[in-house]
Amino acid sequence: MEIDPVTNGNADAVMTESAPTITPSPPVPSSRLSQLTESLKLEHQLLRVPFEHYRKTIRANHRCFEKEVSSVVSTVGDLADNDWSKDVTVSRLTSLVSRLQGLKRKLEEGSNVENLQAQRCRARIDHLDSADVKNITEWNNTKLKRILVDYMLRMSYFETASKLSESTNISDLVDIDIFREAKKVIDALKNRDVASALAWCAENKTRLKKSKSKFEFQLRLQEFIELVRADTAESYKQAILYARKHLAPWGATHMNELQHVVATLAFKSTTECTKYKILFEIRQWDVLVHQFKQEFCKLYGMTMEPLLNIYLQAGLSALKTPYGFEEGCTKEDPLSQESFRKLARPLPYSKQDHSKLVCYISKEPMDTDNPPQVLPNGYVYSTKALKEMAEKNGGNITCPRTGFVCNYTDLVKAYVS
Amino acid sequence: MDLKSIKDAFDRVANKQKLSYSKTHEIVQMLSQEIDKALSILQEASPFDHRSILADVKKMFTEISPVNQLEAAEKELNVALTKYPKVLEKQLNTDISKAYRNNVEFDTHIVNQIIANFFYRQGMFDIGDCFVAETGESECSTRKSFKEMYQILEAMKGRDLEPALNWAVSNSDKLKQVRSDLELKLRSLHFLEIAEGKNSQEAINYARKHIAVFADSLPETQKLVCSLLWNKNLVKSPYSEFLSPALWDNAVKELTRQYCNLLGESSESPLSITITAGTQTLPVLLKYINVMANKKLDLQNMEQLPVAVALPKEYQFHSVFVCPVSKEQSSDDNPPMMMSCGHVLCKQTINRMSKNGSKSSFKCPYCPTDVDISRCRQLHF
Ligand SMILES: [Zn+2]
Repeated sequence: MEIDPVTNGNADAVMTESAPTITPSPPVPSSRLSQLTESLKLEHQLLRVPFEHYRKTIRANHRCFEKEVSSVVSTVGDLADNDWSKDVTVSRLTSLVSRLQGLKRKLEEGSNVENLQAQRCRARIDHLDSADVKNITEWNNTKLKRILVDYMLRMSYFETASKLSESTNISDLVDIDIFREAKKVIDALKNRDVASALAWCAENKTRLKKSKSKFEFQLRLQEFIELVRADTAESYKQAILYARKHLAPWGATHMNELQHVVATLAFKSTTECTKYKILFEIRQWDVLVHQFKQEFCKLYGMTMEPLLNIYLQAGLSALKTPYGFEEGCTKEDPLSQESFRKLARPLPYSKQDHSKLVCYISKEPMDTDNPPQVLPNGYVYSTKALKEMAEKNGGNITCPRTGFVCNYTDLVKAYVS
Repeated sequence: MDLKSIKDAFDRVANKQKLSYSKTHEIVQMLSQEIDKALSILQEASPFDHRSILADVKKMFTEISPVNQLEAAEKELNVALTKYPKVLEKQLNTDISKAYRNNVEFDTHIVNQIIANFFYRQGMFDIGDCFVAETGESECSTRKSFKEMYQILEAMKGRDLEPALNWAVSNSDKLKQVRSDLELKLRSLHFLEIAEGKNSQEAINYARKHIAVFADSLPETQKLVCSLLWNKNLVKSPYSEFLSPALWDNAVKELTRQYCNLLGESSESPLSITITAGTQTLPVLLKYINVMANKKLDLQNMEQLPVAVALPKEYQFHSVFVCPVSKEQSSDDNPPMMMSCGHVLCKQTINRMSKNGSKSSFKCPYCPTDVDISRCRQLHF
């Protein structure tokens, strides 16, 4: 029990203080319950990302099995339709047997991977299920760690991301492996290599087509530009062949862009014509990195922005008041910190639709339990704080902001609704 | 939100996946059995029979039509795979970045510093150091202080009050200024430790030397010293509260609070306050955006949030006065004014009610009092 000078002065106070241990805890207010439910609705990404990963694995495995099976079937058909010797037939069939053996192994492995991923999906549903008004502080702490790991992964701080998720036991709740896959592509693009990005496009062909993505087209355009940039007779020849093979198929949907880029054949990379010059800028590679990140987030059902930024913006706005920027603002307000102030500056202020008063002295809310009292100089403090001050100073009150002195009996109660 | 429908939809996916897997397995098994069978017949058969045997296998394969079977299994699985994300979209907020202001870009250095500071103040020094190294940020100025704080707290966990007392004594002036009773809390714990473990005489000596100075807090010191009468039987005494581990928890809490405060930091991590506030704000904003979907809502440029968000009272750091009549927030130009009856309105409202001072009195909108304008007083919350 806390030693509190006001309440523990006599035995009665001790009695009443220990009373709550006997009475059952009051029911949880429904507003807090609905607030919790609402906040869980923000967790789409948490459930969606591992599912997309799972779905991708299932599809890839299935495609692979289907291919193997149909190739076995057609090999048998081939053997039956042609006039091979017995020896050849036996050796072909034997190799088919070992091929099917291999397929069984692959099936086993594939199923193990799929099960692990399904488990991860379940772990996340269970995590949402575990949120409760009683453990909400702890749950929110975990949430903050998840948000921080998400931020680090998007910024490619992989080492800290792994360390943090391992040390806080949240590995099942974060998507480190998925971001590692993205990192490979991003690193390659930064080295001006489109191969892994193209491989990624091939892997996700159906999904990208469905969302009408033109990322692959942009990669192809960049490869074409690089051939033109090389500026040799051989590279021009290659560029034309490349355009025929890889760019022409996009003509139906992206004719304007296609023409624009292919026309660079007539200009060199040293062109001064701004419309073409921009295509040769090295910055175009950064654009590709950015586009890849967007496609990647979309594919997995992630927000484009780090979760941290989204939550910070909303939270800073809700906390932002003109008072937070004043000198001598209480240190308890995050906006008293210079770093938080800087982030909050361009954001909107919070809106209040009714008064909320906080005692300058005790920082406690001033409400019907602890009503505001007005000093003759117009300064307002809470009844509790003023009473305590009066008891210690023979009934005298000194205004902490102006030094004004008066008596406890001079105070007037204010009614603020 | 209905978590159960999400669970059910996922169970369907997982079941269909198992089904599809066992179907594939079954087919592969069947194919290899057929080929095995054919091979063993081939071993026995005369050199020219193998064509008819192969034709049989081919016929068998056409009958099984494994590829079609696989496709059928996949189709069923696909239905479940398409359904699940739709259930997620229905139950959850698909895109929380709808409430995000795209034209505001955070400075990465500032965000990184906030994160590093967060790790240090939570006592996660390894992670903090790793983060600082990986991001290449300059070292956090608060690291050393938080290290000291955690050393003090660690010692308290082992019931060693020495470092805590040393810190409290060397900062006693500042602690007094903010009316913290940390030193008394620590001395009391120390006294109880002595009283429990050694003889009463030593405890009395300790009380004379260290506790008597807290004459301001007479009730506690009386109780403390009085608890000596029950000596080793505190459980059955009126002072059993002194055995409660909450005393230690409170001392730890108070020390953390005061330590952070003297550092110029809040007692709860500002990052977790902000993120928790964000968690409560986002649903309100998203709901508002959804309702306003058809109206032009310039979220990108507004000066104030379009809706009020009720944050918990511990996140209420300043007094906000909203005039109950005009619903406007008070400001320097439009301060809160108290009428003679004690009700408070903002200045503009009072001006309006008195027709800009042309009337010398008006009726309070909340009680039957006739308000004399000259007696309205400006308030400072
Ligand atoms: Zn009134």
